[in-house]
Amino acid sequence: MDYKKIAETVVKKALKLGADEAEAYLENNREFEVNVRNGKVETVKQSMTKGMGLTVFKDKKLGFSYTSDFSEKALEDFVEKTVQLSQIATPKPWNGLPDLKKGKPRDLDLYDPSISKVENNKKIKVATKVEKIALAYDKRIKNSEGGWFGDAESEVFLVSSKGISRRTKSSAVTFGTGVIAGEGDNMQSGYYGSSKAHFKDLEDIEYVAREAGKRALEKLGARPVKTQKVPVVFSRWAAPSFWSGVLSALDGDSVFKKATFMTDYLNKPIASEQITLIDDPTIPRHIASTTFDGEGKLARKNTLIDKGVLKMFIYDTITARKAGVKVNTIAQRYVYKGTPSGSLLNVIVNKGNVKEENIIKGIDQGFYVKGLRGSGTDVPTGNFSVGASGFWISKGELAFPVDGVTLGGNTLELMKNIELVADNLEIRGGLNSPSFKVSELIVGGK
Amino acid sequence: MNIYPHPVHSTLSDSQLGQEELKELLAIAKQNGGEFAEVYIEHTVNNNIGLDEDKISSARRGVDMGVGIRVLHGEKTGYAHSDDLSLDKLKETARVAGLIASGKAKQTDFDLKKQKIPSYYMVKTSPDRIVPAEKAKLLWKANSTARDYNKSISQVYVSYSDSNTEITIANSEGLLVNDVQTLTRLIVFVSALEKGKRSSGYAYKGGTLGYEHYNLELATELAEEAGRMAVAMLPAEDAPAGEYPIVMAKGECGTFFHEAIGHSLEGDGARKKTTCFWDKKEEMIATEIVSLADDGTIPGARGSINVDDEGTPGQKNILIRDGKCKGFLYDKLNAKLMKTKSTGSGRRQSYQHYPIPRMTNTYLMAGKDNPEDILRSVKKGIYISQIGGGNVSPTTGRFVFSVPEGYLIENGKITSPLKGIQLMGNGPDVLKNITMVGPDLEISGGGTCGKDGQSKPVSDGNPTLKVSKITIGGAKVRG
Repeated sequence: MDYKKIAETVVKKALKLGADEAEAYLENNREFEVNVRNGKVETVKQSMTKGMGLTVFKDKKLGFSYTSDFSEKALEDFVEKTVQLSQIATPKPWNGLPDLKKGKPRDLDLYDPSISKVENNKKIKVATKVEKIALAYDKRIKNSEGGWFGDAESEVFLVSSKGISRRTKSSAVTFGTGVIAGEGDNMQSGYYGSSKAHFKDLEDIEYVAREAGKRALEKLGARPVKTQKVPVVFSRWAAPSFWSGVLSALDGDSVFKKATFMTDYLNKPIASEQITLIDDPTIPRHIASTTFDGEGKLARKNTLIDKGVLKMFIYDTITARKAGVKVNTIAQRYVYKGTPSGSLLNVIVNKGNVKEENIIKGIDQGFYVKGLRGSGTDVPTGNFSVGASGFWISKGELAFPVDGVTLGGNTLELMKNIELVADNLEIRGGLNSPSFKVSELIVGGK
Repeated sequence: MNIYPHPVHSTLSDSQLGQEELKELLAIAKQNGGEFAEVYIEHTVNNNIGLDEDKISSARRGVDMGVGIRVLHGEKTGYAHSDDLSLDKLKETARVAGLIASGKAKQTDFDLKKQKIPSYYMVKTSPDRIVPAEKAKLLWKANSTARDYNKSISQVYVSYSDSNTEITIANSEGLLVNDVQTLTRLIVFVSALEKGKRSSGYAYKGGTLGYEHYNLELATELAEEAGRMAVAMLPAEDAPAGEYPIVMAKGECGTFFHEAIGHSLEGDGARKKTTCFWDKKEEMIATEIVSLADDGTIPGARGSINVDDEGTPGQKNILIRDGKCKGFLYDKLNAKLMKTKSTGSGRRQSYQHYPIPRMTNTYLMAGKDNPEDILRSVKKGIYISQIGGGNVSPTTGRFVFSVPEGYLIENGKITSPLKGIQLMGNGPDVLKNITMVGPDLEISGGGTCGKDGQSKPVSDGNPTLKVSKITIGGAKVRG
């Protein structure tokens, strides 16, 4: 199928039916996934999917539809219904497609053509091997949630009545395993995986397997502690969850509605001077990078928090126009089924210069957080409360595993109380942070 | 009522995937010796309208159409799907799914028999026939009612959505089933702001309900309920942290049982021995006043199903009776491997997914304790009016839930509102600490459950009940 042509036809047809502006966003994807358990293949799944979202503006009113049915009759109905839908919407002066620079997207090497040539048997072998090594890691590991391997290729076309026509291709590949340690009332699961844009960049199978095994074992016997106020270390595994809560409070439209506790903090200090937080989706070969975003804007780097000072909120074209600011951040789509909304793709908290082990050594009694259940930040109020697991720190060492406790406080206070930032930043996914120490926080338990 | 003059066009009805074609696809899927083959055809139309800041902010429509083909062979599943309904593409899809097996076909000819199925949906008027402007009236009504409710109401968001799914399932055991599944929902969210204090409230109605269940009176009712909750929570103080008895209000706390208990009673985890209850069948896992059911046959409820996504009729399954674990929820594959029968729990998000064991409408069954006595029995504790989102590990049963509406109980009476309540603990412990259960079971409007990357509509419910102790995570340390 000539997808570019289909997108162009749909845009033209929408204009013909009276739309002032129209934009088609079309995806064509291939996916493969295998799951093995206890050495046997359980599932093999192959899929080819396509779909298109159509955005129209008529008299400053927005209509949106999507379809995976590309038959001629269905597409006609699709365009007609989308234009009709726009008519029940309320007109808004800020509605309309973005004004885009025509420039050519940078090649970030996000597509690995070799992925489609890897044979299924080889993929099954990776999934089998990673599980096998994790199961053999320790005799207390008794059961498996399985090993997996998956890969995907995605092609995106964006065509708009403003003369923009873009296309990009990307790939993703992932494998990992989950195992269970212990028995009866004392079972703990541990997962670990590796996800990259290129097959060759995947982490070592043995390393991934051992990390999964370690995660299950280290939680065995975890118990709550008494409620107390102590220094808390957010490990680089738990820190991303925390930052995701902070970032959800930076949504530009929530600021406009004064629905976030960050509303009045632009260009003011919100965190310790040691915190600089950027969004950089332009790192070559990185799985969280992109050449252009859901609106067709070319990807770029942005600094949101600079040495503790809040520099920017998160907007898409429409929310930015509404708030009367210049668009800066990335706008993302929930595949072709949604309109773009302001977002971040590859968040990086800059690293500090302290070793994590030295941070732990400097704490007499404290809590090392390995996992959070949720992000903890309540956006309207900034209250912070979240379930956590990890290790108790006693006399500068990790003493015993802890689970079933909460951390509580105020998000702004917590960020200002960040005393030390470790040097252990590793860019693995879309949210990357080194470990950091907060001078004190309430650990709520028994 | 304003409706479209003609039924909406569907490529599915044009595609002429008749019985002969289905048989041919099943034969191709089994040609490598697979033990079982299945074709799942889906056409879904979603409609959604949102109102925000006194404006209709979004009006959306979506069409999902495709065919998923599954082949089972021993413990193995081969799955492939296509959104191209041409017979050639579907034959290729069937072939790819069949590659999971290796060998020769044992049977290539199937007699498909169309099954008659019961109906648990309450649908007279299909919502897809109603023009968007008609639905928009509900949103405007809810918006103005909520704004007039109290001067502290600062934001109102209203959303109406419906989905209309036609499925056809055919398998190599000769099953052929059609079902039309309709879901509708109207939600009102409000925020309140007064003297620098913020709060929020919500209310909704939803289910396998036709458009005849939606009208301006309902919109008014929901807006007032959302407003009541936000205003009630405005003066809320930080919740105390520590261990307390709790009372859960009827109807709106069932999510707790779905998340913290139900997921640990799904058959895939039982087969894999990865959930905390896998070896507890016929054992006491709760106090003897606790009975838990998963029931796909409640008329109009959001999780109800005439058939599951493997064609097995929906049914009522007792998971815990008088404290004893009675069994697990199974799809066909896990049932076969565990030498038992499907419980009508094989559900999938769409043709792009293979079915897995899922809940439908899950609820704690009614007991005998007087709700007033339950409240009176608590000297100092927490009253949970509505439970919010949760996070649970099915392996350990450990959970954290937020509580959007909760109050302090002092000397058997509900007193001041609390914010930031987090319920923490693990499912098996809570089951042993349920000491009182009322007779006033209510099923709530329900929501959407996620598992293994698949979303599915469910609902849940509960009568008034007491848990003798549970850990509350809150911002305030007990002095």
